[in-house]
Amino acid sequence: MVRNIVVLGGNSHPKLVESVCNALALPACARILTKFSSGESRCEIKDSVRGKDVYIIQTGFGGNGAKLNDHFMDLCIMISACKTGSARRVTAVLPLFPYSRQPDIPYNKAGAPLFKAPTDAGRKDYTFDSVPATPAPNVPKSAGLTNGADITNRLLKASQLNGDGPASPMVNGKPNGESYLANGSNGAASVRAHPGSYTTHDYENLSIVNAFEARPGYKQWVAQAGTLVANLLTCAGADHVITMDLHDPQVQGFFDVPVDNLYGRPLLKQYIQQHIPNYKDAVIISPDAGGAKRATAIADSMGVDFALIHKERRPTKITERQNASMMLVGNVADRVCILIDDIADTGNTITRAAKLLKKEGAAKIYALVTHGVFSGDAINRINASALDKLVVTNSVPQDDHKAKLGHKLVVLDIAPIFAEAIRRVHHGESISVLFNFD
Amino acid sequence: MSGEMANEIKLISGRSHPDLSDKIAKRLGVEVARTISLNYSNQETSFTVGESVRDEDVFIMQSTATGDVNEGLMELLIMISACRTASARRITAVIPNFPYARQDKKDKSRAPISARLVANMLQTAGANHIVTVDLHASQIQGFFSVPVDNLYAEPSFLRYINENFSPEDCVIVSPDAGGAKRATSIADHLNTAFALIHKERPRPNVVGRMVLVGNVEDKIAILVDDMADTCGTLVKAAAVLKENGAKSVLALVTHGILSGNAIETLNGSVLSALVVTNTVPLGDKVERCPKLRVIDISPTIAEAIRRTHNGESVSYLFTHAPV
Repeated sequence: MVRNIVVLGGNSHPKLVESVCNALALPACARILTKFSSGESRCEIKDSVRGKDVYIIQTGFGGNGAKLNDHFMDLCIMISACKTGSARRVTAVLPLFPYSRQPDIPYNKAGAPLFKAPTDAGRKDYTFDSVPATPAPNVPKSAGLTNGADITNRLLKASQLNGDGPASPMVNGKPNGESYLANGSNGAASVRAHPGSYTTHDYENLSIVNAFEARPGYKQWVAQAGTLVANLLTCAGADHVITMDLHDPQVQGFFDVPVDNLYGRPLLKQYIQQHIPNYKDAVIISPDAGGAKRATAIADSMGVDFALIHKERRPTKITERQNASMMLVGNVADRVCILIDDIADTGNTITRAAKLLKKEGAAKIYALVTHGVFSGDAINRINASALDKLVVTNSVPQDDHKAKLGHKLVVLDIAPIFAEAIRRVHHGESISVLFNFD
Repeated sequence: MSGEMANEIKLISGRSHPDLSDKIAKRLGVEVARTISLNYSNQETSFTVGESVRDEDVFIMQSTATGDVNEGLMELLIMISACRTASARRITAVIPNFPYARQDKKDKSRAPISARLVANMLQTAGANHIVTVDLHASQIQGFFSVPVDNLYAEPSFLRYINENFSPEDCVIVSPDAGGAKRATSIADHLNTAFALIHKERPRPNVVGRMVLVGNVEDKIAILVDDMADTCGTLVKAAAVLKENGAKSVLALVTHGILSGNAIETLNGSVLSALVVTNTVPLGDKVERCPKLRVIDISPTIAEAIRRTHNGESVSYLFTHAPV
């Protein structure tokens, strides 16, 4: 039993709130948190917070009957309500920090985005590795995989003749086909990008993006809301922020208040050691250069080999239009592969990586991801992918995902980590031990 | 102005009310700036800017659509913040229907003052100026440390009454004590009688008992209020007026939020008409409710933008509605 502490939960992840409260052996603060019929949030805090140390748990995930922005506004309103209710200190606990990932929108040389109009509607027929190819000059629409003509090999040969093919030739057609840029919950057409384009964000309604034209001579850009979100939290009155595995650790610097960035790494490491047979012989892989640090940290601490997938964006000789290909740096043939990443949102990155690893001869592919958001087409993509096991934490609610992905998905519980962090922050103890426990 | 490119009006429109933005743009003779707001599949809002706002006088138009208030608010904040990072000279948020305006006081223990939170958020995002219409409580202006221009729909309402009725047949009625000032102001301008309905409100969105103060017999009773949400108050007030011998009852309301079962409630009521301005997007409600009339507020907002941009006084608009 911890005294003088109040744990207040938002609507985004009631289960996590419950388990954190259980771990701390205290009841969650009674509150009313609904919406007026006009759409405005209604918040009333029932228990006194005067002089208390308040922790508000709200994850950056839309669901449970409200949208992501609703949850975020709820959080700000709760913070401000506690502040006006004379709370001593208010800590925002965001297991998944919203808007932490900056959009990754590809541009071609002319500066216009590489979007293309929808060509195939509502496809659900993802297969193991036949994520459809993008029509391009000299590439038939059903590239190789369904009709048996292996276009990849043909192109590989061509590139080798040219003398400078990429090391792992995910060339023409294949990798491009994997770039899905669309389809929201509204059931809009699933849309595919131009060759070479590749994005980590799906739009709910791509046709608007396609129709959009910037003023001539101006290169359009997408607003990045990370700093804004940080400022809004502090302006609402947050005195402290606790989060986990920030996509960009720099986000910590956006805040004027202390930010504790917890790591899911110890949990993932524990899973590897306990559930992956002969993990010492496995290879830890980062699916992109940005995550290399995260993956090497795990690989180093366990003394396991490391490999990296590199997304090449240069134009290749094969075709001018294709400017993204993936190559593997390292050897994975006949070995167990463990992909490490922080967020799986559209599922693009990990499924692409899995496909490449399979092609390179990996025996078994695990993916360990801290935040399993799985928006848009992600579930279908993952079900159809070469991944054998996908391990995520419950930083966002995973019940729906578990129901759809079945045994493929393993969910690790982060509630003990957050409960311990809250306990330590409350008592003014160091939390650095949480960064590195085994 | 032809030679000088910088510091002109840039009107940016959010997703909530493009129709009003278009009307304002037309009045101002400018084009709505090329931007798009969208949601990613993970429900985060994305805002793409397709033209330069550097050193421009930026006006960001965003109302709040009924049911999607938080979505609209976040979008507005992201738009403001984007324009600030893009070096706009001044950013004016044009919010015809100020969100959370009703949560403006701590009426219970630990109740949030969300209107103040919204005010702080807008300033944090980078708004230098706010233009809004008929704030629920004008004290909300005090939550801001930047200028707030609170425009009134009253001149438009006065014109509507003068055009459609003869004022001597009318009684202006305030449906609650809080709106008495608004109603008396209209009654004074028209030189008509005034009445008030006193109500008890046990819970939000629920209406209690009502008592009429004043005489409405054989008159056209005109209810005046700043917002019509679920319309429970208005409809009950209309019934009370009818019981007290009013010839007919209509309502003039600035913000037609019309949430929940408002349309059904209105259709089944004794109200002969509900007149609202288009500060809130009405969608298909006009088709669904034959009693709903809409006054276009865009001339007032457009004129306020023009005057703000040119550094002219806005107070003329408090008493006159541009045609």
